[in-house]
Amino acid sequence: MSLAIAVRDVEKRYRTWRNRAGLCALDGVTLEVPRGVAFGLLGPNGAGKTTFIKVLLTIVRPERGLLHVLDGDPEDPRIRARVGYLPERLELPAHFTPMTFLASVSRLKRVPPLRDGLFRLLDRVGLASDANRKIGGFSKGQKQRLGLAAALVGTPDLLVLDEPTDGVDPMGRVEIRNLLGAELARGCTVFLNSHLLAETERVCSRIGIIAAGRLVRQGSLEELCRAEGRWRVRFAEGADAARLADIGFRTAGEEFLFAGDDLLALNRALDRARAAGAVIAEVRPDEKDLEQVMSEALTPAPAPLTDPEARP
Amino acid sequence: MTVLAIAADLWRHAFARKWFLVLGAAVTLFLVFVALSLRLEVVDGALAGMRLFGQSTTLEITAVDVALRPIFKATAIILYYPFTLFLIALCAEFAPSLLQAGRIEHMLSLPVRRFELVLGTYLGVVGLSALFSLYGAGGLCLILGVKTGVLTLRPVLAALLGTTAFATVYSGMLAAAVLARSATSSAGVGMALYFAGVLAGYRTSLAPMMSEGISRRVFEAATAVLPRISTLGNVASDIAGGRAVSAAHVGGLCAGFLAFAAAVLAVTMWGFERKDY
Repeated sequence: MSLAIAVRDVEKRYRTWRNRAGLCALDGVTLEVPRGVAFGLLGPNGAGKTTFIKVLLTIVRPERGLLHVLDGDPEDPRIRARVGYLPERLELPAHFTPMTFLASVSRLKRVPPLRDGLFRLLDRVGLASDANRKIGGFSKGQKQRLGLAAALVGTPDLLVLDEPTDGVDPMGRVEIRNLLGAELARGCTVFLNSHLLAETERVCSRIGIIAAGRLVRQGSLEELCRAEGRWRVRFAEGADAARLADIGFRTAGEEFLFAGDDLLALNRALDRARAAGAVIAEVRPDEKDLEQVMSEALTPAPAPLTDPEARP
Repeated sequence: MTVLAIAADLWRHAFARKWFLVLGAAVTLFLVFVALSLRLEVVDGALAGMRLFGQSTTLEITAVDVALRPIFKATAIILYYPFTLFLIALCAEFAPSLLQAGRIEHMLSLPVRRFELVLGTYLGVVGLSALFSLYGAGGLCLILGVKTGVLTLRPVLAALLGTTAFATVYSGMLAAAVLARSATSSAGVGMALYFAGVLAGYRTSLAPMMSEGISRRVFEAATAVLPRISTLGNVASDIAGGRAVSAAHVGGLCAGFLAFAAAVLAVTMWGFERKDY
């Protein structure tokens, strides 16, 4: 499997003169992102998401660990020329127009700054009509769109986006989602860091959850959201909840949950429910949403019970 | 190539700001003022009369090159001292704005090596200072040359020495900007280095005024490594004023200034390479 990002055992501490030991931002993070997928990095504030992105792009130097981006060293300008990055709080030169800014990024990426190409990029992010306005007068959402256009300069193989829809209106979010979809279809890898779980769920097929500098979950969205051995059943109105409970269906809001891996057991239970007069409207595997997955990942495991008598 | 692209971006940034436009307009206005309002009457290589806004000024008949010396000397002094101070204030913001949170992350993610970013910024600012100095001094030489028939490049050389002094001071300003990311710190370090450099030029005559002991030794040690701003300033005004100056002396002074700037830049790059943003 070809990897867009391969990170092994990366550690980063922010040291100060007062605190020589430093604050641990990344603690042995190991992560692999295949090419052509959308990967979402989730985690609470201060978990190390932005630090991880900065380490990937060598904006922050790790203490130790191995980093490979697009099968090369991220320090290599040739590799960085194939990466598009949108920082979390992008500051843009206020005196520039979007066209001059994109032309500047193009030159630094060693891409010919052709006016038509740059205009097409602005059009893709919905800024065509503002191409010659000064950036200083832009709203936060417009700056974010321009940052995204800058990230797309040079048709990158990897897009690293830190909160890309921050400050963008709902319609803009849909446009950005469509744009990311088009980039994925082209074969680009998208690495997304967002607080918006619903957005991550819609865009990303693989998820990583980071907490206190450690990667606590990693996998495909399907794997992470699947609740082992549980089915969600919706009956038509009028079903007798008490009888269904006797059969093994536990109420969960307006639906019922059936625990068990065995498909035969499920079918037998459904037969009994139908025999009891219940009409089945829908049966599906019970899947957790990303909020639940994150909440479970971030909840510390209960401490093992100890017997006070056993203490010396 | 990348270094030049960064320097060119800095120029675009500068020319989009009103203060630089004001500076350019002020220098142009001064040159237009000299070109249109000053009439010089030259007879057989001697300045016979001068009219400013039509008002004749009485003066002794002197050889043109001698008569122009005080003008060139004054131009050199203006370019070397007040103009450099103005540039320190004006250019203090460039590096901190490039290094501000949200912008530097984006710059560092591009295929740009960190030393290229430092060098590009440095060359951009020094180039900008050279442009304005040469525009002012060169324009004045050309106008007076056309009016009098005596063309000299001495004020241009003096302006280049002014740029050398500014280039040295700006290396310290850039180091401060990388360390503190603040325009105020950058300007403060620039001013401090500039005035300390002026003192350093007179260190041998100032040191005996201090009582012998630790304070004098500290003063001597501290000023020993500083660029001799006032010494180079005197050389610049001497060159513009037509006095003979030893090429070896000028070369040695410039080499010292450039060595100081190169050392400070090397330390700045080393620090920048290790910094997290």
